[in-house]
Amino acid sequence: MNSMDTALHSNEWALALRGVSKSYKHFQLKNIDLDIQRGTVAGLIGPNGAGKSTIMRIMMGLVNPDHGSVQVLGKSMSSREALAKQEIGYFSEDMRLYKAESIGWHMQFVRSLYTSWDDGYAQELLARFGLIAQQPIKGLSHGQRVKTVLLLILARQPKLLLLDEPTNGLDPVAKHEILIELMRVVKDEDRTILYSSHNTQDIEQICDSITFIDQGRVVESKNRDEFLEQWRRIKVQVPEGWEIPKLEGLKIESSLRQHRVLSLCRFGEEVPALLSASGATVEAIEPMTLEEIFVSSVMLGRERVPS
Amino acid sequence: MNIQAIQILFLKDLFLSRRHLFAYFAGGILSSILICIPNPTVSFIGFLLIMTVAIAAGIHLIGQLLLAETMDQTRLFIMSLPVSLLDYSIAKISVVLTTYLIPWSAMFSCCVIGTFVLPWAKHGSVVVLPALFLFLLCGFMIQLVTAVVTESVGWTLCVLVACNVLLNVFLMKLLTLPEIEAAKQSDIVVWPNVILVLVAIECLVILGALVAALVFQTRKRDLI
Repeated sequence: MNSMDTALHSNEWALALRGVSKSYKHFQLKNIDLDIQRGTVAGLIGPNGAGKSTIMRIMMGLVNPDHGSVQVLGKSMSSREALAKQEIGYFSEDMRLYKAESIGWHMQFVRSLYTSWDDGYAQELLARFGLIAQQPIKGLSHGQRVKTVLLLILARQPKLLLLDEPTNGLDPVAKHEILIELMRVVKDEDRTILYSSHNTQDIEQICDSITFIDQGRVVESKNRDEFLEQWRRIKVQVPEGWEIPKLEGLKIESSLRQHRVLSLCRFGEEVPALLSASGATVEAIEPMTLEEIFVSSVMLGRERVPS
Repeated sequence: MNIQAIQILFLKDLFLSRRHLFAYFAGGILSSILICIPNPTVSFIGFLLIMTVAIAAGIHLIGQLLLAETMDQTRLFIMSLPVSLLDYSIAKISVVLTTYLIPWSAMFSCCVIGTFVLPWAKHGSVVVLPALFLFLLCGFMIQLVTAVVTESVGWTLCVLVACNVLLNVFLMKLLTLPEIEAAKQSDIVVWPNVILVLVAIECLVILGALVAALVFQTRKRDLI
């Protein structure tokens, strides 16, 4: 068994994707390698159409990859799909429930498929989310529908939660309620969450590790704090004809007369000296928000690998 | 294969289609009653209603139970539950077939019983019924395979139209055959060879379509 196989079969990983590719007419997912450690909250950030939903659907066995392997909670999705799904809770913003039936009917239906369903917790969530069991799905608002799907997922106590843009289109109160509930779930150290979004604020709030994806590729994958520590915005004043030093990941974000705003993905103590040596005067070095890091990282990735 | 999951999915769909199922069942019984009334016009209306109920029930149940799940995106919810593609396919095809067979069987049984019970009906005319009802079932099965393969309302409707045209041609040819004409006028049930051959072919088509529907459904690579 080589090291890659060892990683795939290790109990340490809740999710392990190896060389996963999928081709559609106008979109390709290219050679995705992704490991999510058990008991962590991982964020998947990407612009619209980056491939987040496709990755989630491959993990759920809803879409078959053309190449590569997918291991979820130590089980192969290709051969033990139903068994693996016993322990996975999957949310997609595209998911719809049966309009004519009530929330209570859906609870009964889902309960019949899971031995792990916790009735007490389901009732608790019903009250906490302000839902009424007798209410038919067709009368629910978007926020109530999202909460209902999350209730149906959380009450069966899955070991792994795959949440594909759960807070999209929600009002701030509903978003807060959902994030609070997810934080409660995270307290159980045995449970893993993969949370995809293009909203970096949500991800920053709850995720331990973050993966940026763009145009079907993984751009960067790191611990959240590493991202925040390593990326810096540097404001410099430069002389006429200044040339940017050859430093990996250093990029000009904006220029105005003699002023430049640079971003750097691997900031080190030597950087100010290098910039000074190039003739630039360093005016400020600032930390970047996750959103700024995400945008810079994606743009840097696009420059490296033209689409 | 998870039998319990298949049962749950089957019962879920049966529950979801309960109102339509009852309407088609009642419509089938009503049409069968009309066909048994000794008035040529009313009886003909009953016959037309039987054809209409059989065709409408088929396309509506396929649309509601199979195609709507893709269009309404409820399949994403179902497939997020611990069911495999095989479980889903078996449950789905079984329930579509069962819901169709309920009104179909009711209409077929009522017509057969009527042929033997009603004093003015010739017992020999019963031989037409299996060929006719199995033809309707064949049409339904072909529409089912089309829906499974294409997941398209448009293509399924095209096949429905083709099946209806074929049904008219089939009835026209069948009822003008001399051996059928003779059997219809007889008080004793005599099965002409042409009926036996037709029934055998229809059974093969139904079986073939059933296998094709299951194979195509279970071999799908992407469900969403």
